[in-house]
Amino acid sequence: MRKPLLLREPSVMIFISLLAAFTLIVTVLSEGFGLGLVSTSMIKILGKTLCLCLIAIAMDLVWGYCGILSLGHFAFFGLGGYMIGMWLMYERTKDIVLGSLAGGALPATPQEIEDAIGTQIFGVVGGSEIPAIWYFADSLAAQLALVVLVPGLLALVFGWLAFRSRVTGVYLSILTQAMTLALSLYLFQNDSGLRGNNGLSGLQNLPGLTDVPQSIVSVWFFLASALALGAGYLIAAYVVSGKFGNVIRAIRDDEARIRFMGYPVEAYKLVVFTLTAVIAAIAGALYYPQAGIVNPAEIAPIASIYLAVWVAIGGRGRLYGAVIGAALVSLLSSWFTGGQAPSIPLGIYTIDWVDWWQVLLGLGFVLVTLYAPNGIGGLVDRLVRKDAS
Amino acid sequence: MKTTKTLRIAAAAALMTTTLLTHSAYAEDDTIKIGVLHSLSGTMAISETTLKDTMLMLIEQQNAKGGVLGKKLEAVVVDPASDWPLFAEKARELMTVQNVDVMFGCWTSVSRKSVLPVIEELNGLLFYPVQYEGEESSKNVFYTGAAPNQQAIPATDYFLEELGVEKFALLGTDYVYPRTTNKILEQYLKDKGIAAEDIFVNYTPFGHSDWSKIVADVVALGADGKKVGVISTINGDANIGFYKELAAAGISADDIPVVAFSVGEEELSGLDTTNLVGHLAAWNYFQSAESPANAEFIEQWKAFAGEERVTNDPMEAHYVGFNMWVNAVEAAGTTDVDAVRTAMYGQKFPNLTGSEAEMLPNHHLTKPVLIGEIQSDGQFDIVSQTEPVPGDAWTDFLPESKVLEADWKELGCGMYNTETKTCVQLGSNY
Amino acid sequence: MLRTVYLILALSLLLVPARAQDSDLNALIETHRSDIEKPSRRTIGPVLDELVASGLPGVAVFLEHWREKKLWQRKSDGRFFFIEERDDGSIGLVDVDSGAEMGAAAKDGITNLKPNSGVRSMIASALVQFQLSDPDPQRRAQALTALERDPDASHLGVLRAAIDNETDPGLRARKERLQRSLTIQFGSDPATRVAAIESFAGDAGVDARAAINPLLATRVEVFDVIPDDLNIARVLEPGDDIAAEAAYQLLVEAGKARPIVALDARKQALIANLDDGAVGGVPVAELDTQAARDRAYQALAGAGAVPPLVTEAEQRAALEGHVFAEVYLEPDATLTAAARATLSDISSTVGFYRFIDLVLDGLSLASIYFLAAIGLAITFGVMGVINMAHGEFIMIGAYTGYVVQQVIPDYTTSILVALPLAFAVAFMAGVALERLVIRHLAHRPLETLLATFGISIALQQIAKNIFGTQARPLTAPSWLDGAWVINDVVSISHIRIAIFVLALIFLGLLLFILNRTRLGLEVRAVTQNPRMASSMGINPDRINMLTFGLGSGIAGIAGVAIGLFAKVTSELGSGYIVQSFMTVVVGGVGNIWGTLAGAGMIGSLQKLIEFFNPSNTLAAQTYMIIFIIIFIQFRPKGIIALKGRAAGD
Repeated sequence: MRKPLLLREPSVMIFISLLAAFTLIVTVLSEGFGLGLVSTSMIKILGKTLCLCLIAIAMDLVWGYCGILSLGHFAFFGLGGYMIGMWLMYERTKDIVLGSLAGGALPATPQEIEDAIGTQIFGVVGGSEIPAIWYFADSLAAQLALVVLVPGLLALVFGWLAFRSRVTGVYLSILTQAMTLALSLYLFQNDSGLRGNNGLSGLQNLPGLTDVPQSIVSVWFFLASALALGAGYLIAAYVVSGKFGNVIRAIRDDEARIRFMGYPVEAYKLVVFTLTAVIAAIAGALYYPQAGIVNPAEIAPIASIYLAVWVAIGGRGRLYGAVIGAALVSLLSSWFTGGQAPSIPLGIYTIDWVDWWQVLLGLGFVLVTLYAPNGIGGLVDRLVRKDAS
Repeated sequence: MKTTKTLRIAAAAALMTTTLLTHSAYAEDDTIKIGVLHSLSGTMAISETTLKDTMLMLIEQQNAKGGVLGKKLEAVVVDPASDWPLFAEKARELMTVQNVDVMFGCWTSVSRKSVLPVIEELNGLLFYPVQYEGEESSKNVFYTGAAPNQQAIPATDYFLEELGVEKFALLGTDYVYPRTTNKILEQYLKDKGIAAEDIFVNYTPFGHSDWSKIVADVVALGADGKKVGVISTINGDANIGFYKELAAAGISADDIPVVAFSVGEEELSGLDTTNLVGHLAAWNYFQSAESPANAEFIEQWKAFAGEERVTNDPMEAHYVGFNMWVNAVEAAGTTDVDAVRTAMYGQKFPNLTGSEAEMLPNHHLTKPVLIGEIQSDGQFDIVSQTEPVPGDAWTDFLPESKVLEADWKELGCGMYNTETKTCVQLGSNY
Repeated sequence: MLRTVYLILALSLLLVPARAQDSDLNALIETHRSDIEKPSRRTIGPVLDELVASGLPGVAVFLEHWREKKLWQRKSDGRFFFIEERDDGSIGLVDVDSGAEMGAAAKDGITNLKPNSGVRSMIASALVQFQLSDPDPQRRAQALTALERDPDASHLGVLRAAIDNETDPGLRARKERLQRSLTIQFGSDPATRVAAIESFAGDAGVDARAAINPLLATRVEVFDVIPDDLNIARVLEPGDDIAAEAAYQLLVEAGKARPIVALDARKQALIANLDDGAVGGVPVAELDTQAARDRAYQALAGAGAVPPLVTEAEQRAALEGHVFAEVYLEPDATLTAAARATLSDISSTVGFYRFIDLVLDGLSLASIYFLAAIGLAITFGVMGVINMAHGEFIMIGAYTGYVVQQVIPDYTTSILVALPLAFAVAFMAGVALERLVIRHLAHRPLETLLATFGISIALQQIAKNIFGTQARPLTAPSWLDGAWVINDVVSISHIRIAIFVLALIFLGLLLFILNRTRLGLEVRAVTQNPRMASSMGINPDRINMLTFGLGSGIAGIAGVAIGLFAKVTSELGSGYIVQSFMTVVVGGVGNIWGTLAGAGMIGSLQKLIEFFNPSNTLAAQTYMIIFIIIFIQFRPKGIIALKGRAAGD
């Protein structure tokens, strides 16, 4: 009789309670629901950060535990955003269109409604037809299913092709990067039917709920993100704690040996790759309604590399490490580029953080890789171990 | 043991949270805050940093004159890093955390579309200084750059009438502005009797550098004996490779003229222009425009930013927009958005090319259209200058927007259907 | 009418007695002052004709000055002058007719007239007859260029007359060629025109096609029966050669069929016939489907309130009852037949040349990819690490070139200095990176990848902070300007040729170093088995450092080359990094020939896809990457895979 997960892994318990406490405090302090000490824009930043933490967990699972350095998980994240964005955009536009057509002399025909929606959505990119891929955009349930299905299938097919032909190591990293680049270039095209470079915008406005102020909506999404992060953390912790976790760790450490032991390495890798892609997609579907706009630039290969950087700084092979890394780096980055960080005057030259933050990040990252390969999570571990002894 | 450790981590986390949450939220009453929302890093930094500097200069000058309403102006500069969602985030931050009274910013259309829902929700005010594709009139945005009828259409007329171009190559970067502009131009050219097969359209990605094939395609267009002209909406640094390839192919402006809508003095400063002499650009302002106001502006700019710096059209747009805003605030006696907005209509301010700009009720300016030929020193010879043209939010050359009109003063609507006499919608499309 | 003109002329002469002593040319241009001040292509034609027709001696000089933006106008009285800069810095006015000194002028008292290029080309065209037989060959060439751009019927005679006494063989050939093409366009005798057309068979020049193609212009017409006296290009079958809707529209326009009532017009008709909450007996609330609306409309049509709908059967019958045909605008069938035959001959030639051009483009792109990727391939092959900062070494090279050009203004010298210097700078940066970072991450390839990525973002931002976000110019020396033009279809710019040559040089150099030198031997040994190599007395650390430096140095040189044909920005390198990875992966690791094959494949593939999909360069790149992903399925180790121990991961 094994102990339940929460007791077996104290870090899970701690994390969940911290997350719950944090969520509760922020909600109580928020503009929409409580004391108004935390601004709506801060709620949105925090909510988005939680989504980034979730995708960082996915990244940690696939890289830190299974040893697959995927430089493509942001593609799944973005796709998730696109899928939910299609519904948000279509429905919002439909509401507007129905409102303006209601004043006509004759009631509108379905064709007229569709034409008007098409003109509204695609007018800015020089079109008016609704492409076939928007077929399900009218149905929330279908698009929610697509949030999981589209990135999941992409990951499944890509992973099957890649693992089958034994592409490993840096080769695989480059291949995932190529996939991401191909996807973002494809979406950059207008002909892809997802508004090209413009992407899908205005996603923060929920269809049918236009009267609800953003201060409330932002808290809803913040709570949803916290819930998803908690669930994601539990699932990931469960996956890595059992025998499955041992096998994937073994694949990371010595793939050939575990294959000789008779384990279907490719199948394990494929499961992890697809599962993490789905987690990433769900994170994206929660992230972009808070960001307000999803477009191909989000999917660019560099975003996925940054994701690896977060996980590395936070500490690989530790789920809380991924969370710490993602939260710390993205919040710091937001602070430094926000123009509020004080400049440092050095007499002849003033260090302006807007200019130098990237340098700091890059070099800091090199230092972490060199001297703290286990990242911040590793430092936490060391602290804990000292305490325990 | 375990609990102390838990407590310690919890305390650290709580501390971090509180510092993160409470660092902002203070406002001084004796200043008027102006948000500057231009990318200082990423791909658009190349164009937008100049506009940030322009704003800082204008604000400094205004403060030297005593500020506005007896208060000093304070610039709040943020960096949206050419990341479109970040524009929305930073705009919200500027309006709700920093409590700015007005924002000057954005360059690409997609960044504007990203900001639109936020400023419409929070009833903010944005001055957008770049030529754009039109088909929009938001209550909360003043468009100080050119609408298509103030740049693209006159330039096309110039091609048709002055250069006798019969076949058009519309080359653009693949994004909203070129797409919509080319759609309008295609329709316009067809209305002018140009056959569909005489219009060649090509889109390239941002930062495209391999132009040999496309230039060869354009040359091949001349095979049916018609004069070919290129209308370029190529954006940013992709232009450099394009012009280098044109020059290498030995295509002179007399053979195949190129008129660009996104190439100004700033872009040419990265280029040796001897081989580009005679190619064209259409703007509402050139540094070479002769007027005392312009001479003064250039002198101030060089003193502020450096002797080698040049001025360009979006800078003039900010110059006009900022001064109009100052005058509107003085007229309204407050920085309240709705009061300032009402005071903006009909505001007049001399632009740098010698005529007078007027803010129209559709939130666009009247602007003269200038066409310049590139000179070997990277400046433009102005070969055509019109009287100020009123900016048209909804183009007259597309059937679906022909019937639309924007008038925030009388009709209180940015999308008014003149046929059915109804306001189609109050919010903008984004 | 004529009388009025005379009256105005007389009056104007009376009003300006001061000008009476003016020379004829001055008087003539004075009468057209406003047109000359603000010339437009639409209005300047008659003025030019009159100037030329006047036969005055100064006209040619005047027109030349005007075209070259050397004509000035005095603000006080609007009179036109040439100017000359005097030694003391002041400006002297020169009379346009006599060339006599007319005193000095203040700089702000005169304006320079700058006709736009449309007007300039018309002036050039008017100048043709003066210049075509000019003793100065340069002027004659200028006239020919003007004529090539903007010919008209009147030039044919002048040109024919100017051929015989042409001494310069190059110009003579141009004149003869031009004469043939003008004959096609403006000739009067069909036989000579046909001969001229046929003389261009197999000629790839754009001008040849430009002269012949207009002869084949057609329009689509509709007939009951095709008349015999028309020059018919082909008969069109509705539905196949011409869309049925378009064909029907033609019938409507010709008054041979009833117009179709458009959907929108039908809706308007319904609205107009709204009667007590119903239309044609159908309640308004039910009109939310097209079927219901059609029903209502038919009810209205039955009552005669609106024109009845055109049924499909009626449309089909109308189409079947008529013949649609493309008719040549040129009535002479012998001319169009000759033009058609010649053009089809030309098009097969052009097709061939286009293929050659495609190959050249592909080669050029491949050589760029090769240069960008070869450094990466070496380091990847020897050390098994991916250097994400490789793109930034390319950037460093490009900026080195820029800085050198700031110091050495002569472009040729500066490029010659920049190439080795870029190598040296990037070499040192590479060595530093190897010693400081990569060495400490030995056997951890994924960490190396990420650490070098950190270096990459830091370097990019540092470059931005130093050089600004603006693109910086890196200008090629003038001998690299221009292109190697074989004909109007096949041409390749000199810079691209230079890059190609550079790639060849490096290919040779690297092959030499790897196969013929001690260093190369050691590098190969370390590549194949580092441990064994080390036990044979080779110091792998030193080899790693040198290889990394070498790879980075080549990236630096690639940076100069890429900067020459594109732009120098801090993002220059990152644009090539993914392509470089692909090149290495597709080609196979640790092998120069592999990289060459990879670059060749990717370059030509990209051009091939662009060729099939010319209007969308983005799609070409997407398809190419997908192709690579699939390719790697079949050859996971690349085109040229290493064998033996080195092939292990």
